[in-house]
Amino acid sequence: MRRKLRLTVVGIAILKYAGLALGAFFMLLPFAWMIVSSFMSAAEIMARPLRWLPAELQLRNYEALAAAIPLGNMYANSLIVTISITVGVLLTSSLAGYGFAKFHFPGRDILFVLVLATMMIPFFVVLIPIFFLVRQLGWMDSYLGLIVPNIVTAFGIFLMRQYMLTLPDELLDAARIDGASELAIYWRIALPLAGPALGALAILAFVYHWNSFLWPLVVIRSRELATIPIGLNSLRVYASSPEVINLQMAGAALAIIPVVAVFAVLQRHFVRGIALTGIKG
Amino acid sequence: MSIAIPSVARVANGAAPRRRPYGRRALAGYGFITPAIVFLIGFALLPFLFTVYVSLHDWNMLTAVTSMPFRGLDNYRYLIFEDPLFRQTFANTFVFAAGNVAISSLLALGVALLLNGEVRFPTFWRAVYFLPYVTSSVAISIVWANLYHPSYGLFNGILELFQLPGARFLASLETAMPSVIAVAVWHAVGYYMIIFLAGLQSIPLEVYEAAKVDGANAWHRFRSITLPLLRPTLLFVAVVNTLGSLQVFDLAFVLTNGGPVNATNTVVLYMYQTAFNFTRMGRASAMAVMLFLVILVITLVQLRLLREKE
Repeated sequence: MRRKLRLTVVGIAILKYAGLALGAFFMLLPFAWMIVSSFMSAAEIMARPLRWLPAELQLRNYEALAAAIPLGNMYANSLIVTISITVGVLLTSSLAGYGFAKFHFPGRDILFVLVLATMMIPFFVVLIPIFFLVRQLGWMDSYLGLIVPNIVTAFGIFLMRQYMLTLPDELLDAARIDGASELAIYWRIALPLAGPALGALAILAFVYHWNSFLWPLVVIRSRELATIPIGLNSLRVYASSPEVINLQMAGAALAIIPVVAVFAVLQRHFVRGIALTGIKG
Repeated sequence: MSIAIPSVARVANGAAPRRRPYGRRALAGYGFITPAIVFLIGFALLPFLFTVYVSLHDWNMLTAVTSMPFRGLDNYRYLIFEDPLFRQTFANTFVFAAGNVAISSLLALGVALLLNGEVRFPTFWRAVYFLPYVTSSVAISIVWANLYHPSYGLFNGILELFQLPGARFLASLETAMPSVIAVAVWHAVGYYMIIFLAGLQSIPLEVYEAAKVDGANAWHRFRSITLPLLRPTLLFVAVVNTLGSLQVFDLAFVLTNGGPVNATNTVVLYMYQTAFNFTRMGRASAMAVMLFLVILVITLVQLRLLREKE
């Protein structure tokens, strides 16, 4: 009887790890093949039966890639744009979240309903007007055009407001009695205490805008201003002949590996951030 | 809520005079929210109203905003009754959303259940499943398009090793949409897994132990404890997943550009083409408004359905 029970337990454990491993295999296979084939020659990619590894590492693929698209510019542009947007989002969200959570003023509740309402507006609905607006402002094909329309999000305001509600009023009032200005209280007390929410928002905003494609696609015209997704997309238009498959794979690898490295270091925070917003949202 | 505000303010301000129940701190409050509110009005609310306005007009973005010819509901009438491609993209979008929501939610729940119990290396498994979510959809679409390549792709190479017939994946009318859905599921499953895990971990262990003592088996515990207590999480995943799926653009654009013969063209992609390739802003705006309304209705229905059962 007891032995039978133990056998079932072991059986279930085996099934469980087999399931997890099978899933993990499918999750990792595309990445593994991306890296392997980025070092293959065109002949090796075409070879049938399938070759699993390149006979020798074709570093030329990466050289050809660097000649085909402006890699340095792409990284720099993506960094500049994504960091600016993230800082903007953190600043505007925490300011407004703090204002909504900790102050009383006429119209506050109506204005907060307005924030919630704009949360319901998906980006594609306002794509054409924002494109038009940015063009009228003369921001086409510029950092300003990429950054400015994105530095405020209703979701960020909502998230920060929910978190700021939990800060104790006594602490803020004590600082007021000590004569601190409202801005100083926000900057020195509220902001440091809101660390976890700021971290979650920073990670979400960074990943979202680092990978963002539709908006840069309509705003950016010149090669020099291409972000990483835009630069990669320009490889695609050659259509996949074997001569460009290894190039495309090299490009995808260079786009993905830094993100994976950052993710490996910050994994815990990613997970906590997603979980936090999942429950709050 | 609004009745409570003055009294709270009075307590907070101590001896503040009655004539100014909100005091100077109200000004500070406005100061904190003003930048964000101005931006939301300028970059979300007014643009939204402008989309609705443009959808009732003909506009190529060259004529002045004040002189675009008014067409009433003609753009809507045309799209619904005279444009088979619009109907097709709508149907495609729904097929994509239904497939993606059902499969990715179920798989995510399955993986989360496996990871929720006692597991060796939980961080490793979580990271592996979550990894695709942080990577650029353009980059992974390029990788998958090559995996799917009928002549040089990995998948057909593997099938050939086992002497199985190859598939045409993105290149055939029948298999293109399922192939796009597979990429979407692969890309997003980890995100929903994390949310399910957080939901599962908020269920107190004592409830399970009590049920065990009462002799409930694993399936019973899942049916009568896990599922009901997970309802808020299920609701969140269903709503967010549906919202995102109905707006699919990146995958359709990079994997297939809507092809073959529009088999994977979606509403947002068709809207993009209509607006930026053919500069028919009125029609594109009408598409945006219709999809927006559909998303709004579906979200409200989902919220209603899942709330009722609580």
